[in-house]
Amino acid sequence: VTGQPGSGTADQLSDFARTWAGTLRRASLAPMRAARSERTVTYLAQRLVAALSAEPFDASAGYRIGTELVDNGFASPESLGRTITLINSRLTTDLRLPADGETTGRLSALVESLAEGFAAAVHDRSLDAQDEVRVAALTAQARAERDLRETQARLQYLATHDPLTGLPNRVLLIEQVSAALRAAPAGRVGLVCLDLDRFATINTSLGHRVGDRLLLAVANRLRGLATACGLQVARLDRDEFVLLMTGTSGAEDVIKVADRALCRLAEPFHIDGLELPVTASAGLVEQPVAAGDGPELLRAALTALHWAQARGTGHWRLFERERSTADIQRYRLSAAMPGALRRGEFTLAYQPLVDLADRRLVGVEALARWHHPEHGMLTADRFIGLAAATGLLGTLDRHLLRLACEQGARWQRWPDAPYVSVNLAAPRLHDPGLVGDIAQTLDQSGLDPRRLQLEITEHDTIGTDRDTVATLEALAGLGVRIAIDDFGTGYANLACLHALPLHELKLAASFAQHPPDRPAAATDAFLAGVVSLGHTLGLTVLAEGIETEAQARRLHAAGCHSGQGWHFGLPAPAEDITPLVRAGTP
Amino acid sequence: VQRPEWAPEGIDLTRPSVARAYDYWLGGSHNFAVDREFARKIIEMMPDVRLMARANRAFLHRAVWFMLGSGIRQFLDIGSGIPTVGNVHEIGQEADPEARVVYVDIDPIAVAHSEQILVGNDRATVIEEDLRHPEAILGHPRTRALLDIQQPIGLLLVSVLHAIPDSDDPVGLVRRLCAALQPGSYVAISHVTADSRPAEMSQAQQLSRQTTTPGTVRSKGQVEQFFSGLELVEPGVVWSPQWRPESPDDVGEHPERMGFYVGVGRKA
Repeated sequence: VTGQPGSGTADQLSDFARTWAGTLRRASLAPMRAARSERTVTYLAQRLVAALSAEPFDASAGYRIGTELVDNGFASPESLGRTITLINSRLTTDLRLPADGETTGRLSALVESLAEGFAAAVHDRSLDAQDEVRVAALTAQARAERDLRETQARLQYLATHDPLTGLPNRVLLIEQVSAALRAAPAGRVGLVCLDLDRFATINTSLGHRVGDRLLLAVANRLRGLATACGLQVARLDRDEFVLLMTGTSGAEDVIKVADRALCRLAEPFHIDGLELPVTASAGLVEQPVAAGDGPELLRAALTALHWAQARGTGHWRLFERERSTADIQRYRLSAAMPGALRRGEFTLAYQPLVDLADRRLVGVEALARWHHPEHGMLTADRFIGLAAATGLLGTLDRHLLRLACEQGARWQRWPDAPYVSVNLAAPRLHDPGLVGDIAQTLDQSGLDPRRLQLEITEHDTIGTDRDTVATLEALAGLGVRIAIDDFGTGYANLACLHALPLHELKLAASFAQHPPDRPAAATDAFLAGVVSLGHTLGLTVLAEGIETEAQARRLHAAGCHSGQGWHFGLPAPAEDITPLVRAGTP
Repeated sequence: VQRPEWAPEGIDLTRPSVARAYDYWLGGSHNFAVDREFARKIIEMMPDVRLMARANRAFLHRAVWFMLGSGIRQFLDIGSGIPTVGNVHEIGQEADPEARVVYVDIDPIAVAHSEQILVGNDRATVIEEDLRHPEAILGHPRTRALLDIQQPIGLLLVSVLHAIPDSDDPVGLVRRLCAALQPGSYVAISHVTADSRPAEMSQAQQLSRQTTTPGTVRSKGQVEQFFSGLELVEPGVVWSPQWRPESPDDVGEHPERMGFYVGVGRKA
């Protein structure tokens, strides 16, 4: 078969195309199936050969072939290099094309054009790819930033909301107070702090699931109320909720809200087929706000809530600053007590007890004192109650008893040394270790038990139970004197009085005074009657609160054995009492 | 403080990505200067790394063709990386327009890029997930929407398991993935090794530490472990050009220089 110049046979063409395709496939970086690459390359080869003999000749066909090579995935540098070599070395011979100047010229023009088209396509492709990957990076970046913002928003939400009810928490509530302040710098706000009464019982008896569902139901009711009244609602802890009211004009505003809230919560809840009657207590505060007042306001509402709860269930209380200040001071004092005990800030002052007949010193009453570093000397009425409330009473009592016994033992070396009278706080009578403590303290100090007197307040002892009587008997058994303090201020169970192992009655100070609106004779007769009651019981009788000589005489005349009061001496440190002991008289 | 699991990762464009370096080795331009710098360092050490990348890519294609020939019409390609010419969905959908592909990658840029390419293709999708979370991949809503897990699936783990250190139990991860597949499913694996060219490979491994996915080379025995519990398709675990070549010429004289072990397993 003799081919026309410029046009090889189909077989010759496909041989060339197969070789070209194989070369390209091996030079290509992106893999391609053999059959597919042969199909593509055969088509390109046909167009190349057609272009060679086309009239008029147009070299731009080569450009398009170069472009299509790249578009079909033959884009590696080697693809171009090998293509050029293959065309130059094999095309004319394989297709038996004339080796004349015209053909050679056309061929080199086509190859030049093919290389240009290839390079241009590769360049475009790279630019497109660079754009694509940049867009992808920007997209990814934007997505990461969005995710970060969402995360921050979610963290912010978690940090400011209660997970169970979705209500704002304490943090957001305080922020809302600040926001209210920013909106109206001179405005007033009110808080109603609500707490479900006996919620813990629901959790323990019905389970936390029921408890949680109740809290959700409560949250929903309060949310409804808040929406209706234009309030904000938050959940603090467990079963504590807060309603925030801005732009109030007075306490009545929050009281109305508290009433409505307590009413709403008092309607029974139906949880899991159970009807749960619930009551709540509320603490209220309403005042002008200043910057940073949020936490303070909340504390005020919670304080008022505690006052309300102290009154029972279903109550509300409005916060009062004076009461709170007193509360805080009392709390600070009680918190300082353990340290004060360690530092030895608790001591005793001694007040003379004097025989009314010969005015000799018969005893001293030991009175507790706290040498407070800030508040100076505090008397027992300021701290004994706190000690009882904080569980420190036993420790404090033992400490003071030891001081009293040691001091009493020091005075014992003088003849007719006074007995030391120590106040015993009522709860200590129920302390099973009391008798042992006292016996040990007496033993260690060396004080003669007959020189120790324990003063017990009238209403603490009279008509008491069998254990108390046994304790008193055991104490009397040690040889210790027992006195009834403040006699006549309680309503004594006289029937019991005679059964107790007592030594002395201390008449309350009010007997020393002459009531101005009553005839003197009647008062004196009454006084004599009381004193003779003491005598009948075989007790000595001491009169407290003697401020004048006239009172001293009057009480002596009424039959009192001894007396105590400013007239005979103020409570004083032990070193001031010692000279009196030495002299035997104040 | 430990970052919560749902907090997003940032995009770090200062560290090279092996996926984008791989694109560069394959002649692609979907990469950044930092990637090319890393890729060129590897080329300096191993000038034929481009051929290795190509041979690995060619194995992926042959494995997909093989699976298509075995009736597989849905593919899960984990560690799909930067999409280059001849992606799995292109091959699959050329054979059968109904073929479905889910691409999975850990790199947010690769994922965003894949999304661009897949716009308008409702039978292929991409999810951003980590091979370390097989259940999250299989349970992802887009995976479930596209793949019928009750039918055999072609699982592609091509050039990805070496990004999982032993401490993350890669064998266990493959086992968990395969456990979810129906009998008749296939798993294709390719993995970098230092069995040949140990010096260069360990140097390359060192270099990979600066990338976002440092590599671990594994021996032939270790690669075979990934197929435990599966039937290994002939010719087993071999050098990448040796796995069912289209023509004997494609294998070349030194297939071991291609640095990848490859294999396909079938779930019985």
